[in-house]
Amino acid sequence: MADGLRGRLRRATGAWLPRAGTLDAGEVVLRQRRVFILPTRAGLGFALLLAVLLIGSINYALGLGFGLTFLALSCALVDMVATYRNLAHLALQQGRAATVFAGQEAQFELLVFNRTRLARYAIRADFADAPEPRHVADIPPGVHAVLTLSAPTEGRGWLAPARVKLSTRFPLGLFNAWSYWRPATRALVYPRPEDGAPPLPLGGGGSSLRAAGHDDFAGVRNYQAGDSPRQLAWRQIARLDPSIGGALVSKHFEGGGDELVLDFDALPRTLDLEQRLSRMTRWVLDAEGRALPYAFRLGALRLDAAFGAAHQAACLRALALYGIEDGA
Amino acid sequence: MKIPTTALTRDKADTLLLLASAVLVLAPHTTHLPLWVSLLCGATLAWRAAITLRGKRMPPALVLLPVAVAAMAGVQFSYETVLGKDAGVAMLVLLVAFKMLEMHARRDLFVVIFLCFFLVLTNFFYAQGIVSALLTVASVLLLLATQLSFQFTGAVPPLRTRLAMAGRMLAFAAPIAIVLFVVFPRIHGPLWTLPGEAGGARSGLSDTMAPGQMSNLALSDEPAFRVRFFTPPPAQARLYWRGPVLDFFDGLTWSRGASQASGRDLQLLVGGDPVDYEVTLEPSQSRWVFALEMPGELPVVPGHALRISPQFELTAIDALNSRVRYRASSHLQFAFQGGPTLDDAGRWLLLPYGFNPRALAAGRALRRLADPAQRVDAVLRQFREQPFQYTLSPPRLGRHTVDEFLYGTRSGFCEHYAGAFVFLMRAAGIPARVVTGYQGGEINPLDGFMTVRQSDAHAWAEVWIAGIGWQRVDPTAAVAPERVRRGLDASVPRPPPFGIEALRGMDPFQGRGHAWTVQLRHAANAVNNGWNQWVLNYTPERQRDLVRELQRKLFGWPFVALLTSVVMALLVLRFLRRRGEIHPVDALYSTLCKRLGQLGLARAQDEGPSAYAARVAGAAELAPQSRAAAQEFLRRYSAWRYAPPTADPRLTATLKSLLSQVR
Repeated sequence: MADGLRGRLRRATGAWLPRAGTLDAGEVVLRQRRVFILPTRAGLGFALLLAVLLIGSINYALGLGFGLTFLALSCALVDMVATYRNLAHLALQQGRAATVFAGQEAQFELLVFNRTRLARYAIRADFADAPEPRHVADIPPGVHAVLTLSAPTEGRGWLAPARVKLSTRFPLGLFNAWSYWRPATRALVYPRPEDGAPPLPLGGGGSSLRAAGHDDFAGVRNYQAGDSPRQLAWRQIARLDPSIGGALVSKHFEGGGDELVLDFDALPRTLDLEQRLSRMTRWVLDAEGRALPYAFRLGALRLDAAFGAAHQAACLRALALYGIEDGA
Repeated sequence: MKIPTTALTRDKADTLLLLASAVLVLAPHTTHLPLWVSLLCGATLAWRAAITLRGKRMPPALVLLPVAVAAMAGVQFSYETVLGKDAGVAMLVLLVAFKMLEMHARRDLFVVIFLCFFLVLTNFFYAQGIVSALLTVASVLLLLATQLSFQFTGAVPPLRTRLAMAGRMLAFAAPIAIVLFVVFPRIHGPLWTLPGEAGGARSGLSDTMAPGQMSNLALSDEPAFRVRFFTPPPAQARLYWRGPVLDFFDGLTWSRGASQASGRDLQLLVGGDPVDYEVTLEPSQSRWVFALEMPGELPVVPGHALRISPQFELTAIDALNSRVRYRASSHLQFAFQGGPTLDDAGRWLLLPYGFNPRALAAGRALRRLADPAQRVDAVLRQFREQPFQYTLSPPRLGRHTVDEFLYGTRSGFCEHYAGAFVFLMRAAGIPARVVTGYQGGEINPLDGFMTVRQSDAHAWAEVWIAGIGWQRVDPTAAVAPERVRRGLDASVPRPPPFGIEALRGMDPFQGRGHAWTVQLRHAANAVNNGWNQWVLNYTPERQRDLVRELQRKLFGWPFVALLTSVVMALLVLRFLRRRGEIHPVDALYSTLCKRLGQLGLARAQDEGPSAYAARVAGAAELAPQSRAAAQEFLRRYSAWRYAPPTADPRLTATLKSLLSQVR
């Protein structure tokens, strides 16, 4: 019943709410039309108190009682304006939205600028559908706050953040002022790397395992007792500091052989699309982890063998957006 | 700069602040609460403070509940009810104290603060002075600061800052509150009454008079009512404020007779110019409405119906236990029941049997004088010529009060003189009665209000003479003319403080003598009276008058002109302040951009001055001279904006001249 009413109200107000449903590109300043305000539950309690004070003053002809009643009422009015001013004229900008793998939390950075001379306190922010706002910030004049809102991801592709709601009850908590914002930002979600995927399809064709040799550099593997110091892959070791979980790795050589090719079409057709993309994702990560150059083929996309952050990003992006309309 | 976001936290200091504001709110209540309630509250709050400071757990409900029930029983025991006003306040005080021990959620905080607001109101049952008002403002300030403190989620600023924030809110709220106070429609209360709340006992004139009663009243400096005259105030000696008329004497006490039947024409003839005035009557338990002798018509007391008795006593139907204000118009020249006969003359001749034989005989002896007026004069002459004394502390009298006074002590207060005079008159065959009320009053030169105090209570006599009617005779005036002419202090020395003679000169408010103490007292009175008139007794009638006055004064063209000029001044100020925020060089830059935009070369949102300059260089829309000037402008602006700052005092002027060349 309440939900139905609320839904209808939301639909009815949608027509005149400032740019409701559309994305807010660029910087958004919370002007008067964007800030809404209503009494909180405590505010309604205060209204009840004012009624009781007024009735008491009338009944007992308390001249000072009228004074107190009107002073309290005026304080509530001043609080209403103060609550509005605490939120209004903040400027919002979208920050970075890092890429994540499906299943991880997407992080959206929001920048809230206070270019006024008024210190802002207790600005609460979260996605509009969150039951309780999880982020609170005080923003002194001339400063900006960075809020990082996280949203769960499920599928790959572009993820646009839900409507963000900024609200405040400062200073007295009798009123709640809020504003909505739909930042024109989006995060790229890569496919979820498959767990327990088969090893890298080394050696092209079908047979993936070969005897290890000393001819061709074939990536790195974990250090095993007995590896000679000359065999250690110093470059990779230097990249991964052992203190943050890096481990000693040794160079791995294989006798001759073809280059590593990650070919989407070579995967068994029995697997469904997402599973295949998942496996490709895992392999890209594995190949990068072992510093193996790999060629990448996905549909019409053909990338020559390479490795490194840029190559990985290109591959993962292609996987994330495969079959999805890339809306720029 | 990056501001870290913080989780919601609450502070111990906030709880202590809440305790402090509760103490401030509860403190004034200790003056009327039973001692055990005050002590219990103090102990509870101290316990809560200890819990907060030591970080202990709150007591479980199992402990609190029995204590609360016991406290309720205690209220029932102390007040013999839990429903009345005083008992209700005591319960509320205890509730706030116990609620402190049972605060868990943020909701509870609001509950405590709102209860505190209500407790501030209930304090006005007991005190509504200026001090109470100041205390109230302090309480509200602290409550606001407390409520504010609980709203912070990050670093909480120091207490002084929070108090300043609350003070700023109050400062903004005060004008709105004053406007609301003045214009919010008032209605007459009460909407309901609880049992046993007919106001506190206040001294005032009673319906009876016995020796010693009125001299007690004479020591009270409490105001009985205040008067504002619209016509020149009459002389002191003519200010007789009529109250109860006493006709029945039982030998000791004068009281109002049983029969107060009305239904007859009052036969009042008035003459001379009326005296117009407005009386503000202090609240009391009684129903008496006072007016100068004699009001030509019945005054209208808002919210009360009035009754007039055949003896010309004005009473309200209900007790006047709140301050009321009414206008009246009196004629100092009048003839009351001035016919040839008096219907119920016998009633005014009754004397008790077996009392005061000497006075009775003396009165009877007066009958040999044929003219009643001569009999009156004879008694007054006796008072004047024999060594009678007017004193506030008359000796005690026995059974024959009039005899002992007239022939023994010969010293008394107005009730002695009035009583003895009426006794003698009745014995001499002249209908007579005692009239009580107030005589005189003190005009405050600062605000023009006249204050009539309990100490101005007075008793005089009325005698009926055929053809003239009831005539006022004040026997006290025969003994102590100063009493009537200048007031009580002029005629009777007041007892010294604590009865110690040496302290007499040390009380600055003693007497009405010294010039500067009089000044001081007048000032204090004027403030107090203004407070009463404008704050405590701001009635619907006064509001109507004021609003009408304001409408008349405000809605003329001078006010409109003033309002317009204030608005204009504010707009100009705002514009100047806005302009001050932008650096003049930046302002020139945006002017240039606007002008180039009008010429079809709008700057793109993401275009810096250098890129813009490059685009301007290739634009065919501009005349070559304009183009050069714009380029030069942009080059200089770019240098000023992005290069290390160099002081060029003539930069603004240069840019201005360049700007003027862009056309």
